[in-house]
Amino acid sequence: MSEQPLQQPRPVSLPMPTVGPASMGVLGGHAPKPIKVVLNWGRRYSLWVFNFGLACCAIEFIAASMGRHDFIRLGVIPFAPGPRQADLMVVSGTVTDKMAPAIRRLYDQMPEPKYVISFGACSNSGGPYWDSYSVTKGVDQIVPVDVYVPGCPPRPEALLHGIIRLQEQIASERLSAQKLKGRYAGTRVGSAGDVRRPLLRRGTTPTEDGT
Amino acid sequence: MRVTDVRDVPFGEWASTVLSLREEGYAYFDWLTAVDETDRDGDDAGFDVVCHLLDTREPGSLRSVLLRTRAPEGLPVPSLTGIFRGAAWHERETHEMFGIEFDGFDDGSGLGLRPLLLPEGFEGTPLRKSFVLAARASKAWPGAKEPGEGHDSARAPGRRRVQAPGVPGPEWGPR
Repeated sequence: MSEQPLQQPRPVSLPMPTVGPASMGVLGGHAPKPIKVVLNWGRRYSLWVFNFGLACCAIEFIAASMGRHDFIRLGVIPFAPGPRQADLMVVSGTVTDKMAPAIRRLYDQMPEPKYVISFGACSNSGGPYWDSYSVTKGVDQIVPVDVYVPGCPPRPEALLHGIIRLQEQIASERLSAQKLKGRYAGTRVGSAGDVRRPLLRRGTTPTEDGT
Repeated sequence: MRVTDVRDVPFGEWASTVLSLREEGYAYFDWLTAVDETDRDGDDAGFDVVCHLLDTREPGSLRSVLLRTRAPEGLPVPSLTGIFRGAAWHERETHEMFGIEFDGFDDGSGLGLRPLLLPEGFEGTPLRKSFVLAARASKAWPGAKEPGEGHDSARAPGRRRVQAPGVPGPEWGPR
């Protein structure tokens, strides 16, 4: 019984997966206008939302997701399993300096394009805790905010209004990669892509003489 | 719940009073904190160290005692961790918020009094009245702070201006 020589696996050159400021795919920069309208229309009505509830405003957010106000009819889906599956983060409540790194970290884990609604006086500006030693003076010091919803706490209708405002913004958005890069890359210091693990090893291309 | 008894004890009898109260049946430690009374006149200035103990033996009639002592500023307070282990978190919080040292603190970790709630790198003791809340000085409040201060308000503020502890004074610059 002759021994079969072990088949040496040939190294294959695989492209490194890149994670960076969104390019929106090939369609992003070059799609004709009707396609852009369709893309924007699709994105504005399927906003998977990630609720960063920190205080009493989160109760109003929950009320907005329940039967009476029901923001699912606007296409906002409140069942994102985590930030990595979410398009929209609603920061509702008092942001403290101790919580701020966690918000930044979870925001960085969201895939782009991503949007942030700051819900309530505390996350807008610090609100009644302006003088506090521990409260961040607005969540926009950590992450870029698209829509501010004022109120202490705002009523659920105010959140619905804010969502509609955000959807108007998305509908009028130009999907050029340049703009998105300018929007996100300027404010960020690190992204989830920066801490990626090299799951795929870049193979060495074999040369003719086998070295 | 209602506090049924308030007792003021001299500073030297702090730990021994707590110990004797525990023997009496006040065996449930509720909480411990401090009150900044350093702006009192005379020799009385210092920190009120406050401790709340409960007697839960009798069903239906909860007895409680609020124990207070006036600790002079700078003197370490005898720690209660030898009497109630649960006092460790409270003493750590009181230490980081007021800067009060606790003598004989031991929570079993051997790490001593260390910050409990404040973020890493926080400097100062924020619940002292001398701690300046510099937020107004660093970033102007985008609105009216007092009644009658609004941009379209014709009336002068009718209320006496209160200078609360911690609000930065005029030497911090215009706001």
